[in-house]
Amino acid sequence: MNPDDLRYTAEHEWVRLEGDVAEVGITAYAQEALGDIVYVSLPAVGDAVSAGDACGEVESTKSVSDIYAPVSGEVTAVNDALDASPQDINEAPYAGGWLFRVRVADPAAVEALLSAAQYTEHTRA
Amino acid sequence: MNSPLRETPLHSRHVALGAKTADFGGWDMPIEYAGVLVEHEAVRTAAGVFDVSHMGKVRIHGPGAVAFLNSVLTNDLARIGDGQAQYTMLCNEFGGVVDDLIVYRWSDDEVFMVPNASNAPIVVAALRAAAPAGVSIDDHHDDHGIIAVQGPGSRAALEALGLPADHDYMTMVSASHRGEPVIVCRSGYTGELGFELVVPVIILGSVWDALLEKGAPLGVVPVGLGARDTLRLEMGYPLHGQDIAQDITPVEAGLGWAVGWDKPGFDGREALVRQREQGPRRRLRGLVSIERGIPRAHMHVHASGDAGLAGPVVGDITSGTYSPTLKQGIALALLDADIEVGSEVLVDVRGKAIRFAVSKPPFVPSSVR
Repeated sequence: MNPDDLRYTAEHEWVRLEGDVAEVGITAYAQEALGDIVYVSLPAVGDAVSAGDACGEVESTKSVSDIYAPVSGEVTAVNDALDASPQDINEAPYAGGWLFRVRVADPAAVEALLSAAQYTEHTRA
Repeated sequence: MNSPLRETPLHSRHVALGAKTADFGGWDMPIEYAGVLVEHEAVRTAAGVFDVSHMGKVRIHGPGAVAFLNSVLTNDLARIGDGQAQYTMLCNEFGGVVDDLIVYRWSDDEVFMVPNASNAPIVVAALRAAAPAGVSIDDHHDDHGIIAVQGPGSRAALEALGLPADHDYMTMVSASHRGEPVIVCRSGYTGELGFELVVPVIILGSVWDALLEKGAPLGVVPVGLGARDTLRLEMGYPLHGQDIAQDITPVEAGLGWAVGWDKPGFDGREALVRQREQGPRRRLRGLVSIERGIPRAHMHVHASGDAGLAGPVVGDITSGTYSPTLKQGIALALLDADIEVGSEVLVDVRGKAIRFAVSKPPFVPSSVR
């Protein structure tokens, strides 16, 4: 269920690297655990984010969860559509439910994140 | 106290239906099946069935059972006749709410009551300690379950099972299903037309299955405690342990309508009469978000003003959630009594000052009648 071409964090984010731009979202496991997502707070375009720092929030009917930047860099785009339809994260966590894109300073840092197999193992632990 | 979680007799069915379960008052209860939002919507537009078997079930019987309860509980049982149900409270000597409950009055000598799950043993013990000779308090927590059927389609769902469903709000009818007695009370915790069925455990599973099967064409779905919370909060119904508690009184919570002020005595009367005369220092109010933000229990409420979150704290959120109907944040909050309905306050939502309007619940119009 976790696409093989993505990288993952132990905090349940996924990263899709294209060139030097990393698209970031939360995993299917994370959205399932959160339940119906009703509100998303994202960083602003132009923000500098640092790997491991909280840079947004995803809130469901029952709880709120921080979004952590998986990699360091500058935010180049945010998924504004989530304002009107936050349920996209539940319905398509690896596609329409993406959160934001970061121009990464060091693309190799993405490769250092968890593989799909490692992440799947992590969610079973 | 780290005892294992209790399960209702329907637990295996919830698991089979794919429910996410969690600890609720010491019970492993279904929180959601298909999701809070669709379940909430189903109850507002069709109907939902809830397993609320964790709630207590207590029978009080013997000569003068009603007179005894009327000398203990806040509401006046003389306001209702036999066959009617009433919302009432058990208070401590300071006027704080030990529990809120529904009592079913069958006759002067026969009453059934539904306390909250975790408070049931406390209520039973308090009543047993105070009961006069001849009045018995029987705990039926484990031999009966309760299924709530709530929503505009609830009446048709009950009729599909051959159960009575045309009685008035807050009245109950004793019926029979598969040869076992079932109490059908027209009551609920959602603000919709609805019923609560008190069912012997031996037929609990078959009633649950039949409601889902025969209700399916009507849009009936299983609903967990997650949607139960968003539904009740849209009505401004208090939850014991959050909005009312041992240190929160009915006067503060705006529940004076459920107090028999003219009764000669009931537990907590002196303290409550005094507080009512002097006016409470704080009141339970509704809050509706003006900006995007979801309030949660224990967040601080600040006075509106340029000082923002540096301004004075005027209260705390007791329950808060996202209203699926309004698509806004809503909350109940204990606020200083001088904060007026219609005014604006700031809620500290994880360090951000979010503007809220002070209101008087319900947040969504009630359809119980």
